[in-house]
Amino acid sequence: MTDHDLWHEINDFLVREARLLDDRAFEEWLELFTDDIVYWMPERTNPWESDDPADTVSKPGELALFEESKETLRTRVARLATGMAWSEVPPSRTRHLVTNVQVESGETESELRVRSYFMVYRTQLEHSQDVFVGERDDVLRKVGDEWKIARRTIVLDQAVLQSPNLSIFF
Amino acid sequence: MSQMNDLVDTRQGLLYRRIFVSKDIYQQELERIFARCWLFLGHESQIPNPNDFLATYMGEDPVLLCRGADGVIRAFLNVCRHRGNRVCRADQGNATSFMCTYHGWCYGNDGKLIGVPGMKEIYSNELDMKQWGLVEVAQLDVHKGLIFATFDPKAPPLLDYLGGQEQELGVMFDRRAGGTEIIGGVHKWVMNANWKYAADNFFGDDGHHTVTHVSVREVPVDELSYPRTNEEPRPYSDDIGFTRVAGGIIRDYLLDHFDEAVQRIGPDLARQAGLVTTVFPNVSPNFIRHMIRVWHPRGPEKTEIWSYCVVDKEAPAEIKTAMRRHLTQTFGPSGNLEQDDMNNWEQCTGTARGVIARRYPQNIQAHLGHEEKSGAFGGGKRLRRFYARWAMMMGAENWGDVDLETKYY
Repeated sequence: MTDHDLWHEINDFLVREARLLDDRAFEEWLELFTDDIVYWMPERTNPWESDDPADTVSKPGELALFEESKETLRTRVARLATGMAWSEVPPSRTRHLVTNVQVESGETESELRVRSYFMVYRTQLEHSQDVFVGERDDVLRKVGDEWKIARRTIVLDQAVLQSPNLSIFF
Repeated sequence: MSQMNDLVDTRQGLLYRRIFVSKDIYQQELERIFARCWLFLGHESQIPNPNDFLATYMGEDPVLLCRGADGVIRAFLNVCRHRGNRVCRADQGNATSFMCTYHGWCYGNDGKLIGVPGMKEIYSNELDMKQWGLVEVAQLDVHKGLIFATFDPKAPPLLDYLGGQEQELGVMFDRRAGGTEIIGGVHKWVMNANWKYAADNFFGDDGHHTVTHVSVREVPVDELSYPRTNEEPRPYSDDIGFTRVAGGIIRDYLLDHFDEAVQRIGPDLARQAGLVTTVFPNVSPNFIRHMIRVWHPRGPEKTEIWSYCVVDKEAPAEIKTAMRRHLTQTFGPSGNLEQDDMNNWEQCTGTARGVIARRYPQNIQAHLGHEEKSGAFGGGKRLRRFYARWAMMMGAENWGDVDLETKYY
């Protein structure tokens, strides 16, 4: 397989994932993750006298916006399915746009490092509009014939989140 | 100035909706509440070293909280005295001085103006630099690691202001000898809701829990988010309230240090199931969620929420991690409980714009006339007390008109 073919395969994977999220097929979406998934969304901060983007992101061990395992992701999906998770009643209408996909070799033979930019548009009820823009840094692992997400770091660009909640996934 | 008795009737348990959307009332709140009351600025652990600083807000005023080279904690308006630019744009860091990026006026972290470009050419050496330092808070005090300040020199001392509430804060901030610390990172987000909905909710709206957060009963989020212990369960009696709430290794940890807590804060507070309250006007600790929360007002219909994770300083790393994760699973913008609060408060605020809706008061009559049924976190009684305090501060010309007795809490 050429690099070009691999890129298309990974891009298709990410587009399919986005479709599952926007179709609210959360159970199927969960199946894209390995059992040891670390799904993490750190916070942004404005550092003192630094122009290194890495200094704008909170560190592991600090408070994060999402700090998830497979079990906690499953809990979140189950809660949404109760129909009484009111922030999603009626459900948000989302569009997950994925772009700037970069595929690199991973730490092991069976893994890839996949970085991408995203823009998630969310609207709900009558007037609400949220736009979440940022990047994801994923580790994809080949399990059998399929790619699974084994690590996901999501970095939003907003320092003060301009939305009342994060009741959706990224 | 609006007459508050027409808007808040705590005897009949009625609340008029104008207080959530009126621009005039909001301006009065900024002046009579946020410019006078003691407000939470941060925790000592956030600025542990000389020259550490963090940026925060008191009401809508940006404020710098600095630990000087001398170790003294001070707070100033983050506003250049020259033309009003912010002197610091970072959230936190370590600095001995701050230079305004407009014309270069430079201030020490003790607030003194230490440099003015063009002192000779522009100001003929006639500018009295002593007169033009950063505006400092009138009073600053630290209680159990929590840093409070007020811009009102006439405000009563912090402990008088807390009026007995400082005892209750011990449940969260004084269980262990080393005190508490804030884990790095702050949840910051905004909602289109009036700040009072959030502040009154934490102060004492226990009635919402079974409905707003019903989903976490269907799917036991709390139970699932406590790491299970591999050891024999610690023996405990049911009258230790927190054991009914906390689970797993966090319950074990609290039980392991229960005797220490009893010694420090007494058996009643040490046993308490939780501490969910608001230190008037806008800081809300929640013991069992390991969280302290500030509701920064941003206009009558907007609030900026800052939320910190608080842990015992001497807790083992494994416990601190478990507490941080528990907080993220339950509260904050992604919290399985709190996700569902913000939309409610936004809708409550938005409907108050309707002139017809405003003709009808809200009902805060829970347990009215039956206050004895209202438990420690009893919704109605405490809601009425929150708004009694609010109306009193809004109406008071001076502190002599303010009754800080615990009965209002």
